[in-house]
Formats: sequence, structure tokens, C-alpha cells
Amino acid sequence: MRRLARLVVLHVWRQVLAWSGSWWFLLTLVAGQAIAPLIGLFVWSEVFPGDPRVASYYVALLGVQIMTASYENHTFSEAIYDGNVTHDFVKPKPVVIGPIGENLAIRAWMTLIGLPLLLVVGFAMRTTYAGGAVVAALPALVGAAILRFLFTWVLALAAFWTERVHAVVGLGNVLVFLLGGSAAPVVFLPEPIRTFAEASPFRAMLGLPAEIATGSLTATQAVEGYAWQLGWIALFAMAAVVVWQAGVRRYTAVGA
Amino acid sequence: MLVRMLRLFGLTFSMSIRRVVAHRTNLVFDILLATFSLAGAVAAIQLVYTQTESLAGWSKSAMFVLVGTFQLMTGLRATFIDPNLSWFPDRIRDGRMDLYLLQPAPSLFLASLGTHAPLGLIQVGLGLGVVGLGLFERGTMPSAVGFLSWLVLLAVGVGVTWALGVFLACLAFWAPRLQLQVLYGAAWELARYPVDVYRRPLRLFLTCLFPMAVITTVPTAALMHEPNLGGVAATAIAGVAIILLAIGAWTLGVRRYTGATS
Repeated sequence: MRRLARLVVLHVWRQVLAWSGSWWFLLTLVAGQAIAPLIGLFVWSEVFPGDPRVASYYVALLGVQIMTASYENHTFSEAIYDGNVTHDFVKPKPVVIGPIGENLAIRAWMTLIGLPLLLVVGFAMRTTYAGGAVVAALPALVGAAILRFLFTWVLALAAFWTERVHAVVGLGNVLVFLLGGSAAPVVFLPEPIRTFAEASPFRAMLGLPAEIATGSLTATQAVEGYAWQLGWIALFAMAAVVVWQAGVRRYTAVGA
Repeated sequence: MLVRMLRLFGLTFSMSIRRVVAHRTNLVFDILLATFSLAGAVAAIQLVYTQTESLAGWSKSAMFVLVGTFQLMTGLRATFIDPNLSWFPDRIRDGRMDLYLLQPAPSLFLASLGTHAPLGLIQVGLGLGVVGLGLFERGTMPSAVGFLSWLVLLAVGVGVTWALGVFLACLAFWAPRLQLQVLYGAAWELARYPVDVYRRPLRLFLTCLFPMAVITTVPTAALMHEPNLGGVAATAIAGVAIILLAIGAWTLGVRRYTGATS
């Protein structure tokens, strides 16, 4: 286990260095992630002018979106398509460590680059947060980061079966946008969609930490949210193992 | 010259269709993604209108027309512009740009309109469907002048989209490592809503400097309200000016280009 942890740290460090020269591209990735929460902020501020909760929610969501971004359909799936994944198959380590390292490195850079944007939007919209609520939201943020990686990873493994992996991940992202709290805060959804969204993995990977940080959930609702999040993490972790095994059985290397 | 380019355009489009037909499973995925994305956009609009009657002065029917127009323009961009101009700096860096300069056709035409992704036309069809839904929801048909203005402004919007793509591509002649494709894609999303939704500085930026307003807000407003013909003419003139500027920028950029190995 300690060896695995060391390997992850080494991979993260290697990828942090590898991405350090691509700060301009990382900036465009931050812009890509920021656009949906910013549009949501403008639209819902127009619907509820003067309601400070809307601005606080969307600024928190902006942070969650940037800090949990996952691009495994661009990074790992391409390795399946061009056959480079075979190099990882013959190395004495789990293949997933490489994508985890790259994911964490990209997120670290995006968080660093996205921080000024968060501060500027936060100050411009005069958002305020209670310290206790922000601390209570931190475990939900970690859970959202794990869940969004697992979700993207499972969908990215579709590359073993189809060359349209971006379409598959795109379909998943539409669900995250609609039910995760980006198109509208989950509390604004009409019933029964709201009840469904509250229990869905999409809210657990995006809206939940923002809701807790803005103090819009009661203690019971927050605990329920955490319970759903943990359940979805366990389910997607199992799905990742099953889909990975099925994909590797199907995989044939270039030239084989 | 124009007839020759149109023939070349037709031939490359026909080749692209034959390539697409060879991979029919991809067609299914693209139809699914386009339908699902549009359904998501329509659902997002529905959600907003469960809480309000009007968004920055825009009714629900007008928003549907705007979303349909956005999808239509996104489909045209995905079919004719993105396959050529997205990730263009890579072609400057690795020298593939040389190929455009060596062929007996204008380099700008080959680089910006030489290949197509016909599957993007699915979005155009779906977008037209949502425009129809918006007009149905409104209850009355727009006037002939309004409809013609919408068509003219759509053509201007396509021209401006192409010109913006060329401008971004041209930057690579001076800064080959500058990759703005993702940023352009993100800014494009701002056209999903009328510019009236955004705060004043951003609204001015999207109207004057990076004219996303021309893509959806202006054509939809012309279709849904009685169009101001002077405004339509002014937008068309501004669109032509932007296209000419893009052609000028390309000419300057090609003069600077020295090939990847020279």
C-alpha cells in the first residue's frame, strides 16, 4: 500500500512537471470549465436579482467545477486508441495509477490558475461564506473529486469498444450539467426531478459541496447527501473494476 | 475562380459524406449526442421558466428560437469550420501548412474550408426543429421580412464565425504555441443565452469586440420582433468588414510563414 502511495505521488509530481510548460492551455481548460457556472450565475441572478444565495452558490460551484475537472477521455482513451496503453500493461504497477497521477496534476494546476478567477468573481458578486459551512463542505469536495474521476474513467473505458468515446463522455456531461446543479441549483428543480436529482450521482459530484458551503442544507440533508455520495463512490469503483476487466479482455494491440 | 472554388467545395463535401457513410456506428453516436445535448439545452430553458415569466425581457418562445438558432449555428460551425480551423497552430508547427501553399487553389480556402464533418448537419436539422417549436409556442408566424432578416443575419453569423476562426488561426503565424481552440469553444457557449442576460461590460464585449451577439441574439430578435432594416443592413456591412479583415490577416500571416524546417 505504501509502495502504491509512493507511486501515485511520483506520478503526480512527474505530471505536474510535464504540464508546467502548458500553462496557456491549462488557462483555456479553466475557461472551459468555468463557462457553465458563470452562465448559470448570470441567468439565475437575472431571475432572482438581489438574492445573495444565487451568487454564493454559483461561485462555490465554479470552484468545485475547476477543482474536480476530469479529462480521462482525452488522456487515457487516446492511449487506448494509439496503442500506447500496452506499455503500461507490461509495467509492474496498476495501469490506473498513471491516469490518477495526471488527473491530480491537471487539477492542481487548474486550481492554481483558476484561483484568481474565483477571487475576482467572488469579490465582484460580494459573496460571503460561513467558515464552518466551508469546512463542512471540504469532505464533500474530496468525495466529488473522487466520484467525478470514477464517472469519467468508467465512461472513458468505452474506448475499448467504440472510437466515439468523446460522444459517450459528452452524454454523461449533459446529465451532470442538468441534474448536477449547474443548469439550475437542485433546490430550484421541480418535483419529482428534484427528488431524483438529490439522490443522483451527478449532484454528488458537483452541486453537493457548493450547497453545503453556502449553508443551504440542514444537517440532516447534508448527512443524506454524504450518504448518497459514499454509496455512489462505492458503486462507481466497482463499475470501474468490472468495466476495466471486460475492456482489457477485449483489447487487442495494434499489430496483434 | 468562384465557380472553381464552389466545385472544389462540392467535391470535398461529397468525399466527406462518403467517408462518414463508411462508419455508420459513429452516425448513431453523433445523433444520440446531438439529440441529448439539445434536449439538455431545452430542459435548461424550461427550468428557468418554471421560476419566471421573462428572462431579461425574453419570453420562453423567443428563448426556444434562440436555442434552436444556436444549435443551427453550432452545427454549421461543426460541419464546415471546426474540422479545418480547430487546432490549426499544430499545422504551422509541424509544417503541414506547406501543403496548402503548394496546391493550385487559394491557401485560405484550402486551410479553412477544405475538409468537412457532415455529421454536424444533424445539429442543424435539430436546431431548425427547436426554432419551429419556439414559433409554435409563440402562436403567430413571423412576418416575411422578419424571416428574411433572420436568414440574412444567419448568413452574416456564419461569415463572422468563419472570420473569427481565421483570426484565431492567424495568431499562430506570430505565436505558434498559442492554442485558443478551447477558449473559443468556451466563449461560443455564451451565445446560448441572449446578451441582455450578461452584465454591461461583458455585453459590450460580446457585441462589439467578440461579436457573439451576431450569432444568436441579433437574428432571433429580428425573427421574433419587427426587424429594423437599417440595423440588419448595418450588421451585414459590419460582418463583411470582419470577413475582409480576416482575409487581410491571413495574407499578412502567410507572408510571415517560413515553413517548419526553414
